[in-house]
Amino acid sequence: MSLLAADLRAFLAAGLKEIRQQRRYPTLFLGQLFWPVILPASWVLMGQAYSGNDPQALAAFANRAGSSNVAVFVFVGYAMYNWLSVLLWGAGTALRQEQLRGTLEAVFVTPASRLVPLFGPGVATLLPMAVVFASNLVALRVFFGIFPPIAAVIQAAIIVVLGIPALYAIGALFAASVLRFGEVAPVVQLIRGMFVLACGITFPLAMLPIWAQVWAKLMPPTYIVDDLRRVLLQGDTIAGVFGDIALVMSLAVLTAFLAIAVFRYLELSARRTGMLGRF
Amino acid sequence: MGEVRAALAIARKDVRGFSRYRIAVASTVFTPLYQFIIPAFLFGAAFAVNGRAAGLATTLGTDDLPGFIFFGGLIGGLIGMAFWGVAFSLRMEMDTGTLEPTWLTPTHHETLVIGRALGSLFWFAISQVALFAFGVWVLGLRLRLEMLLALPAVLCAIFAMVGIAYLLAGIVLLIREANFFVDTANFLFGMLSGTAFPVTFLPGVLKPIAFALPTTYAIDILRVQALGARPLFDPALEYLVLIGLTLVSYPLGRWVFGRAEETMRRRGMLAQY
Repeated sequence: MSLLAADLRAFLAAGLKEIRQQRRYPTLFLGQLFWPVILPASWVLMGQAYSGNDPQALAAFANRAGSSNVAVFVFVGYAMYNWLSVLLWGAGTALRQEQLRGTLEAVFVTPASRLVPLFGPGVATLLPMAVVFASNLVALRVFFGIFPPIAAVIQAAIIVVLGIPALYAIGALFAASVLRFGEVAPVVQLIRGMFVLACGITFPLAMLPIWAQVWAKLMPPTYIVDDLRRVLLQGDTIAGVFGDIALVMSLAVLTAFLAIAVFRYLELSARRTGMLGRF
Repeated sequence: MGEVRAALAIARKDVRGFSRYRIAVASTVFTPLYQFIIPAFLFGAAFAVNGRAAGLATTLGTDDLPGFIFFGGLIGGLIGMAFWGVAFSLRMEMDTGTLEPTWLTPTHHETLVIGRALGSLFWFAISQVALFAFGVWVLGLRLRLEMLLALPAVLCAIFAMVGIAYLLAGIVLLIREANFFVDTANFLFGMLSGTAFPVTFLPGVLKPIAFALPTTYAIDILRVQALGARPLFDPALEYLVLIGLTLVSYPLGRWVFGRAEETMRRRGMLAQY
């Protein structure tokens, strides 16, 4: 068997292991059903309170957000929020979990490529991610009586699929970086909070100061959220957002290389200092 | 007197223990800021017409957006204190294996809850001062002297939340794996109390639950006094209901806690987790 084929098998095995572990703790899926429904629903009610059904207030919102449909605007933003949560708490902390369980050293002495433990756990985020998106759509339909046109939903699904590599790379970069920290939970909260503030998840990007808007343009989730809203709310098409998608994919490649570089650096440093098993 | 000393000692121990985790201490201020306050402020400001929250004025009778968010957040912090600072901390004692030795001390077990509530109140006060300072400095929050008139309502809410903390502590002791329960129940309790939006926007089936929560009235009285918002009911009636619910929630919480403890003793569950 060639080296590449062997690494591919190891990659699939790493993903399968994570999925198997998720299956052992089915209560974890309760959160993936609850939060994608309740969180955005509460923000839609906040939107109703802030607008007071005042036509001028709704027009002001539409001017800044590109649509007066607050419910879909919020639900799309929260789909990204929940995707980031699944990613950062799952794949993002996978290496750290291995370190805590004392299995990271054992993984490192296998002949598999180092890219396997770095990128393998990301496979397991695909299932919860699908659950999150499905819960979002069902909640939008059941609680607010809204279901976007099928053609728009299909195009939105394509944007999500094309956005997966970028989010995957962010998860890997985070996973490699947090190996340095003793306590991961506050770092996850901080990074997720940064995305919430910068990527237009709960409010229109136009509300941010210019310097923050420039910063937001460096983050792939900003484009994914904006493209989803354009397709679902403004009747735009995949062709119309193609430039953004190409940019997201380029950022994905850059982020993945950065993740590999950080991981390599930490591995080298660990070899010199013997800190791999310490935490 | 001995019980008061024990409660203060527990509070001191909790404060000292938590202060060792600097990032966790900082996150008591930063987490509400980036998870709720700033996003809610920018979301609300997106509806502003000529710099004025006209929609909120239609809904509530006041266009003070920062005030609406911060005073809701104040009671939201109090709710979080009862859920995480008191009830969930018992789970932490289970995890660290110190619940059994603590239970064997001659201190009343009810005092353990009071001590934790005092420790949590300390962090609650510090985080609220920092958050309000940020609000005044960055978001243009205006504090009016009339808000002090709502102080009795906030004190009532604190007593009521101690009662609810007893109730929750009893549930946590019984279900043990309480993370999901505490997280979701805390969020729902806050939303049903009107921390983020007026309870009049809740679906009809949830409104009776909202009106049975003491925090609903505390938030409303606070917003009426501090912002001049339109009240849900006559404020005098709201005070009366708030006092009534506080008087009910405290003994109810103590009773549930006592029953939970009795069940634990019978089943020998104290060391299990």
